[in-house]
Amino acid sequence: MATVTVPKRSALAEALAGARHAADTGHGVLSWIATVDHKRIGMLYGISAFLLFLVGGLEALLIRTQLIVPESGVLTSDQYNRLFTMHGVTMVFMVVMPLSAAFFNLLVPLMIGARDVAFPRLNAFSYWSFLGGAIFLNASFFTRDIFSGELGAPDAGWFGYAPLSLPDFTPGHGMDFYALGLQIMGLSSLAGGLNFAVTILNMRAPGMTLFRMPVFVWMTLVTSFLIIFAMPVIAVALFELTFDRLFNANFFNTEAGGNPILWQHMFWLFGHPEVYILILPAFGIISEILPTFSRKPLFGYPFVVFSGIAIGFMSWGVWVHHMYTTGLGTIANSAFGISTILIGVPTGIKIFNWMGTMFGGVIRLRVPMMFAIGAVATFTIGGLSGITHSMVPSDYQQQDSYYVVAHFHYVLFGGAIFALFGGIFYWAPKFTARMFNETLGHVQFWLMMIGFNLTFFPMHISGLLGMPRRIYTYSDGMGWDLWNLMSSIGAFTIAASILVFIANYVYTFVMKRGREAGDDPWDARTLEWSLPSPVPHYNFAEIPQVHSLDDFWHRKYREDAEGNVLPVVAGGAVEVAHGGDGGGHEEAGHGIHLPSPSYFPLIAALGLPVMATGLIYDYAIVPVGAALLVVGLYGWALEPATEED
Amino acid sequence: MAHAATGHLETSTGLDNRKLLMWFFLASDCLFFGSFIAAYLLYRDRSLVGPYPEDLFDIPFTSVSAFVLLMSSVSMVLALAAIQRGNVRGMRIWLFTTAMLGTLFIAGQAYEFTEFYHEGLTLSTNLFGTTFFVLTGFHGAHVTIGVLILLSLFVYSLRGGIQQKDSLNVELAGLYWHFVDIVWIVIFTLIYLVQP
Amino acid sequence: MPRGRNVGYSLTAWWGVDLHAAAISSLANVTQTLRVLRRNRARLPLLLVLLALLALVLSGCTTDTPQNTFDTKGEVADAQAKSFLIAMWPAIVIMIGVLGGIVLIALRWRERDPNQPPPKQVHGNTRLEIAWTIAPAVLLLAIGVPMVAQIADLGREPADDAYIINVVGQRYSWLFEYPEEIDSEGKPIQTVNEAHIPVGREVSFQLRSVDVIHSFWVPKLGGKRDVFPCNLVTPEPEAPPTPHGERPPCDGGQMNILWLKADEPGSFSGQCAEYCGLEHARMTMTIHADAQADFDAWVKEKLAGSSGGGN
Repeated sequence: MATVTVPKRSALAEALAGARHAADTGHGVLSWIATVDHKRIGMLYGISAFLLFLVGGLEALLIRTQLIVPESGVLTSDQYNRLFTMHGVTMVFMVVMPLSAAFFNLLVPLMIGARDVAFPRLNAFSYWSFLGGAIFLNASFFTRDIFSGELGAPDAGWFGYAPLSLPDFTPGHGMDFYALGLQIMGLSSLAGGLNFAVTILNMRAPGMTLFRMPVFVWMTLVTSFLIIFAMPVIAVALFELTFDRLFNANFFNTEAGGNPILWQHMFWLFGHPEVYILILPAFGIISEILPTFSRKPLFGYPFVVFSGIAIGFMSWGVWVHHMYTTGLGTIANSAFGISTILIGVPTGIKIFNWMGTMFGGVIRLRVPMMFAIGAVATFTIGGLSGITHSMVPSDYQQQDSYYVVAHFHYVLFGGAIFALFGGIFYWAPKFTARMFNETLGHVQFWLMMIGFNLTFFPMHISGLLGMPRRIYTYSDGMGWDLWNLMSSIGAFTIAASILVFIANYVYTFVMKRGREAGDDPWDARTLEWSLPSPVPHYNFAEIPQVHSLDDFWHRKYREDAEGNVLPVVAGGAVEVAHGGDGGGHEEAGHGIHLPSPSYFPLIAALGLPVMATGLIYDYAIVPVGAALLVVGLYGWALEPATEED
Repeated sequence: MAHAATGHLETSTGLDNRKLLMWFFLASDCLFFGSFIAAYLLYRDRSLVGPYPEDLFDIPFTSVSAFVLLMSSVSMVLALAAIQRGNVRGMRIWLFTTAMLGTLFIAGQAYEFTEFYHEGLTLSTNLFGTTFFVLTGFHGAHVTIGVLILLSLFVYSLRGGIQQKDSLNVELAGLYWHFVDIVWIVIFTLIYLVQP
Repeated sequence: MPRGRNVGYSLTAWWGVDLHAAAISSLANVTQTLRVLRRNRARLPLLLVLLALLALVLSGCTTDTPQNTFDTKGEVADAQAKSFLIAMWPAIVIMIGVLGGIVLIALRWRERDPNQPPPKQVHGNTRLEIAWTIAPAVLLLAIGVPMVAQIADLGREPADDAYIINVVGQRYSWLFEYPEEIDSEGKPIQTVNEAHIPVGREVSFQLRSVDVIHSFWVPKLGGKRDVFPCNLVTPEPEAPPTPHGERPPCDGGQMNILWLKADEPGSFSGQCAEYCGLEHARMTMTIHADAQADFDAWVKEKLAGSSGGGN
């Protein structure tokens, strides 16, 4: 293998080292492409996920436009089916997961007092393979004549139930893209999960014991373990689907004696932990925002942490509630019905503790707080509607009806997206040094809150009135007209709220009209606020010594035995806050060895969609992708992680 | 092998980042193979047409190749022990031995696959063909990657890249190798030996 | 009407009998809700909430709601609607408590003055934690117990005298086959997208698909059951009718059985509830429940028709 000879530098290595140096020093495009800095990767994740959120949102608007009246002909059934499939796939795998990953990247090292994640280049690989997978999957739209209205996207639903997902029933390449695209993004998530599990366990600052970690870090840790154990399951399911589709294997072929229920078990054995992969980071964000804006510590910290861990464990024992109607029998349904009901207990503990946090506080109703409170409220509704159809007999009616659509949007939009927006408003000042406009933020919040409830509450009713999911149209006379009209109006209200957010972004960052943030604009509690805004690339000039939970708060305030708050003598806080480097950030930064930028993660990640394309269209392309992957991996393994002086 | 960003610093758990990463990856891989094995067991005896496992399995042959893979774990242990004592030459010999034993196993698998193919078993013949080839194929791919890692380490060490202080590289490769070996023991037991 | 034979119904006493029973029917009938409202002044606040929800439903009910899961016409659907309400009542109470609590707390303790000092730092309260761990667990198990009883009740095999209909789901229509009604050529009568069933008798729908997974759903009669592809072991036409309660074996896939029972005559619409492809939305059906005499007449006519030239 020629590439193994690197200790003696080849011409290629020299060229790359030169480019790497350029990337290290510059602020241009190259410096972003080769970056291994967790903050930059976090921002890349955030921006990519937001753009994909717009794509998924556009798909939702088309869906709602089609359903606005009965028998509308805005979309053909084929277009509709592909759009709802891509809406689901996009929102789950390309929006909520990477947005959560954006927060993991931005915050975890800062919150635990580290200079970067454990494996910065693996982190870059995670991002690039996510982006590659997302572009690959969305490229499927163009595999047919899109300009004459023929979409090429996957068309068997985001859940890809076999045998509908087999080529006999979904010919064309859409579902090939689905199987391979999700495989790539799954690998990306797995790499991220491994990285953050190691980072959190191994990279904590001195004194940062596990039970001094912010709840967000805890939830990241639980999520990482869920990813580590859930991703291989979906990987196997997707491989089986791929083998069935591309190489005529028989995993789901009933003619050969297979049973398509195998797919459902594997998909939901992954899929239910996945739900908590989507929501636990949001729980973490809520648990950071509520204390800051209530100016009180999180109520019952250990209980919030343990309930999160409990949810992580229990999420492995409830998958059959997606399959009550598949005829698994009374014993399976009873057991999983009870386990599903009981997952309400740890979830309830979280909600009660959040209320306890606000109770008796001094509550500042700033934009992040509004989103966090909104998330708790809407998530509560979603959780409770979940209890109603965890009741197995009741679910026989609600399964695959709009009631379920209402439920999980309350959980994943009402819970996750609201919390994630809260997180954006909360932490943006830390990384940009500017504050979002408060008024526009409140306008966005209320538009979104009203639009959200207008969209999804009526779906409870249309579901109870017997409207099944995933139908591209309905006849009048079913009693569903009004509810669908309301939902569609609501969807456009949500779209308006997103436009307000974009306007706010432009106002704040493009026109640079946003207020200067300062280092600690919210009087917050966790370590990241002890750093200058924007955070210098080395994070901590000196690795902090941690003495307690909410360490930064305790540098600013003292607490007497009754819990009354006394400020620390003026001046002391500021000095400690900057790690005692007295404003000499530049000087302080010089002695620190940070991981050097690298192009190899990008090269390796690029190999994956190329290989996938080859598998679908022409096996001759596969070796090209494999070569990219191998070159990337060997270059990665052999280049020094940190450039010598 | 990837180097940790802050490899010089003490880690919170005292375990090296890369070692922790490898353990978590192997935990994840357990579920990967577990899922394929579950699919195989679910479809055992459900094939509608032959050839069936009992028509094809050559237990003595596969026992030998399982033994070869098992022995490669022994040589892997010896390679690690050598480098930990600073014996680079001994490590090279045992690394190369391990890689060759792995290659021998892969060759055995290739022979077995070819035999089965000639007996009429393909990926699409029946459920047995599908689940068997995909499960053992993925295991074979793991072994192949392992062989590549071992050979890379071997070549790297020829150029002086691995000294006593770098023994972790060998240890990580070893962890992976032993895992793949253990997976084979499970597969060999459940798929070949335990016939209903 | 043979209501109240399942366990869930007897447990409704927990949540207030009048209210509970009325809630089911009132989801289809506003006047009755008002009557209950007048009778139960003491429970006015609770009822107002119910009304607010129902008002939404009912304004939809000014038009027909042929797939309304609360306008139940059979005991299975009855039991399922009740199961929903057993969970819905506590859910609504908790929802009001939590949402109201959040809003009240946010208003009561909002910052009034930017210079207000931080409040007393309360870190937690173990007794409260234990309380709000145990209380929800008890409540949830309380609704879980009747649930398990209902699962067992609905999940039992069809009665011995159940009327068997084979349902074949295919993209995008429903084929109904009556193995108990064999015509002169020895073939069972068949219908497409419409089925007739006798009122007051359990009907055992034996569900299988010839292509992808569908789901058989007639909301007014009962919840859905998925229709899996099933590779029947014996070629179908020669197969003798399977004994009651025994499902024909599949080589691949699986066969599901769903029993339903109509309490009154009528035509009930249903549709496929598992996404199955292009025309999933059009995969609809109508189940006509006929009084036994009408049903017998229909069968007779059908048999005569099919021997006279087939369908």
